[in-house]
Amino acid sequence: MLDLQHVSKSYNRGKIKAVDDLSLVVSPGEIFGFLGPNGAGKTTTIKMIVGLLNPDAGTITVNGFDTQKNALKCKSITTYVPDYPAIYDRLSGLEYLNFIGDVYGVPKKDRLERIEKWLDIFELTQAISSPIQSYSHGMKQKTVLIAALLPAPQVMVLDEPMVGLDPRASHHLKELMREHCDQGKTLFFSTHIMEVAEKLCDRIGIINKGKLIACGTMAELKRLNEEQSLENIFLELTDK
Amino acid sequence: MRRLLTLVRVALKVNFGLSVLYHRVFKEKKDIWIVLVAALALIGVFPTLYGYLKLIKGLYGVLQPLGQEQAILTFGLLAGQFLILLFGLYYVVSAFYFSKDLGMLIPLPLKPFEVMMSKFTVILVNEYLTVLAIVAPVLVYFGILAKAGFSYWMKALVVYLLLPVIPLAIVSLLVVGMMRVVNLSRKKDALIIVGSLILITAGLGLQFVLNRSAGSKPDAEAMAKFFTSPDSLLRRVGAGFPPSVWATKALTGGFSGAGLLNLLIFAGTSLALLYGILVMAEKLFYRGLVGIGEISGRRKTLSQAEMSRMISSGRRPVKAIFRREWRIMNRTPIFLLNGVLTVILIPVLFIVMARSGTGDNAFILKAMGSAKPVYIILAAAGFLLISGCLNGTSSSTFSREGSQFWMSKVIPVTPREQVIAKFLHSYVIALVGIAAGLVVVIAVLRLKAAVCVAAAAFALTGAVALTAVGMIIDLARPLLEWTNPQKAIKQNLNVLLALFADLGVLAVLGIFLRFLVKAGIPGNAILFILFATVILLSSFSYLFLLRLAEKRYQEIEV
Repeated sequence: MLDLQHVSKSYNRGKIKAVDDLSLVVSPGEIFGFLGPNGAGKTTTIKMIVGLLNPDAGTITVNGFDTQKNALKCKSITTYVPDYPAIYDRLSGLEYLNFIGDVYGVPKKDRLERIEKWLDIFELTQAISSPIQSYSHGMKQKTVLIAALLPAPQVMVLDEPMVGLDPRASHHLKELMREHCDQGKTLFFSTHIMEVAEKLCDRIGIINKGKLIACGTMAELKRLNEEQSLENIFLELTDK
Repeated sequence: MRRLLTLVRVALKVNFGLSVLYHRVFKEKKDIWIVLVAALALIGVFPTLYGYLKLIKGLYGVLQPLGQEQAILTFGLLAGQFLILLFGLYYVVSAFYFSKDLGMLIPLPLKPFEVMMSKFTVILVNEYLTVLAIVAPVLVYFGILAKAGFSYWMKALVVYLLLPVIPLAIVSLLVVGMMRVVNLSRKKDALIIVGSLILITAGLGLQFVLNRSAGSKPDAEAMAKFFTSPDSLLRRVGAGFPPSVWATKALTGGFSGAGLLNLLIFAGTSLALLYGILVMAEKLFYRGLVGIGEISGRRKTLSQAEMSRMISSGRRPVKAIFRREWRIMNRTPIFLLNGVLTVILIPVLFIVMARSGTGDNAFILKAMGSAKPVYIILAAAGFLLISGCLNGTSSSTFSREGSQFWMSKVIPVTPREQVIAKFLHSYVIALVGIAAGLVVVIAVLRLKAAVCVAAAAFALTGAVALTAVGMIIDLARPLLEWTNPQKAIKQNLNVLLALFADLGVLAVLGIFLRFLVKAGIPGNAILFILFATVILLSSFSYLFLLRLAEKRYQEIEV
C-alpha cells in the first residue's frame, strides 16, 4: 500500500512548485496509473516515493512505513524503474542482476528461477552475458524491468515503463503488472499512453501543474467529465 | 570558419559548465559556496607560489654569474610541455572519443576537422590553466629579474599561447592514429588501455635515453665548454624536448637574429603540427570515432551450470558494492588510466628520473645514508603515502557514479555499508600504490628491511586517513552531472581539493615532527608519538566519513 498525504516539492528556492499538496492512496492489489502533461510533476512525485528526492512537506508511507523515517525498510520492499535506463553499462546483464540479488538478499534458488523465467519472457537469454553497453535502449529497459521484478517486491514504482519496448515485450510487461497486483501487491506507474492506462489501471490519477486534478476508476472519471475516452478526459482536464 | 567558432564557443561553455554555473550561482543562488571555495583555494595557492618564486630567484642568483640563467626558462617551459605530453594523453583520448556529445555532433553537417578542432581548443584552454601554475611564474619572474624589455613580454605572451600546441598536437596525432587501429578491433577498451600504456612508456623511454645521452660526458673538455658557452646548460636541460630550447632562445635572443629565428622555428613548428592534425582529422578522425562506443557483445546462451556458477546467494551488500566499484573502475579506460595506472606511474617516473639523472640518485642515497633512521623512516613513509594516495580514486568515488547514482539511493543498503565498500575499494588501490612505492624504496634507495617495514606500517595507517579525507570531500559535493568521464576524475575540483587537503595533512604532521624534535624528544619516542597521532587521525577521519555518509545520502537529490 502506498499513501501520500499533503506532499509538496518545489524547485528554485520555492519559485517553481513541482508538486503541490498532493494526497492519494494506492491500495494493495491495485494498479494505479499516473497521468499528466510534460512537466506536470509525475517524475518528481515518483522520485519522492522511491527516496530520490526529499519532500518539502507532507508524508509518504509504503506499507505503513514512512519513507523519510524508515527509509531502509521502505527500500527493501519497493523497486523502481526510472524513465531512462541509466544503469551500470560496464557490467554484463547477469552481473547487474546478480548485484541486485545481492543487495536485496534474494536466495540463490529464487534468483536462478526468476532470472531464467524473465530472460526467457523478454528474449534476453542470449545477451545476458554481454556488457550492458552493447545493449539497445529496449534491451536496457528490459534489464531494468527484470531487476525490478527480481526481489519480488511488495510495491513497484515504474516511470513510463513502456518507452523503448517492442510490442511483444510491452504485452508481456502488462501481463506481469497484472500478475504482480493479483498477488495483493501494489503498483504505481506513470504513462503517456492513454490506451494502456484505460485498459490496465484499476484507478487513474491526473496531475497538472503539480496538483492532482482528478483521481478515480475509469468509470468514475467518465461520470465526472461526461467524456467517452480517457484521451478526451485528459485533454479536457489539462487544457486549463 | 564561423561554424567552427560557434562550435568552439559551445564546446567551451559545455566544458566549463559556464551557463549552468552562472544559473546555479546567480539565479538559483544554490552553489554560492563555489565562490568561497575558489577564494579559499586562491589563498592556499599563495604560500606555494611564494616558495616557487623564491626557488626561481635562488636559481637565478646562482646561474646568472655563470651566464646560464636562461636554463631557468628552459626548465620551466620543459616542465610545462612534459606535463602536457604525459597527461594530455588522457585529455585527448577522453575528449576526442568519449565525450557524450559526440553522438549528437557526428550527424550534424560539420566536417570532421571542425569537430576535432572544437575538442582540441577545449583541451588547449584547459592546458593554459594547467601550465599557468608552472610556466607563468617562470616567464613573469624571469622577465622581472632580467629587467626584460618590451620585446620579451610580447614574445613571452606568444610563447605561452603556443606552448601547449606542440605537445598536444604530437599526442593528438598519436592518439588519432591509435584509435583508427583500435576501432578495427572488437576489444576496444583493452586496446585503448594497452595503446595508452605503450605511448606513455615510449614517452618515458625517450626521456630516459635523451637524458642519459645528454649527461654521459663528464670529461674536462665538456666541462670547460659547459661554462664558456652561455646556452650549454639550457641545451642540456632541453635535450629531451628541443621546442623548449627554441622557445628559450626566442625569448632571450632579442627581436632580431637568433631571437626572431627561434621564434619563427617555434611558431612555425606549432602551426605546421596544427595543420598536420587538421589534415589527419579530415582523413582519420571519424574512422576512429564512429562506432567506438559500440561494443559488440557476444550472443551466447549460458548453460544451467554456467548460470548457476555465476549467480551468488544471500544478502552481501558490502561485497556486491565492492565488486561493482572494482569492475566499473577497471573496465572504464579513463578511470583505469587515472586511478590504478597513476599509482603505478608515480613510482615508475621516480625510477626513470633517478636512473636517467647523473648525480641526483647518488645525492639522495648519500643524504639517506647520513640521516638519522627516524627521518629515513618518515621520508620513506611520506613517499609511500604520496605513491598510494595522491590519485583521484577516493576523491572521485561518488562523482564517478554520475547519472547512475540513483541506484545507490534506491537500493536497500545503508549509506554506512555503501561507504565501507567504497572505502575498501579506494584503499586497495592505495595498497597497490604503496606496494609499487615499496619496490622503489627497496630497489632504488636500497633501504634496510626494518626501515621498509616501519615506513610501510606508517603508510598503511596513514592511507586510511588520506583515503577517508578524499572521500569526505567528494561526498560533501559530488559531481554527478557529467558528459565526459574525464570530468568525474581528472577535471573534478574535488580531486584537486583532496590533493591540497592531503598535502595539508602531511604538512601538519611535518610541523608536529619539527616541534617534537625541537622539544628534544628521542628518536624512538618521536616515532611512537607520530604513529599514535596517525592512528588517531585515521580513526577520526574514518568515523567522520561514516557519519557524514548517513547525512549526505539522505540530502543528495538526483
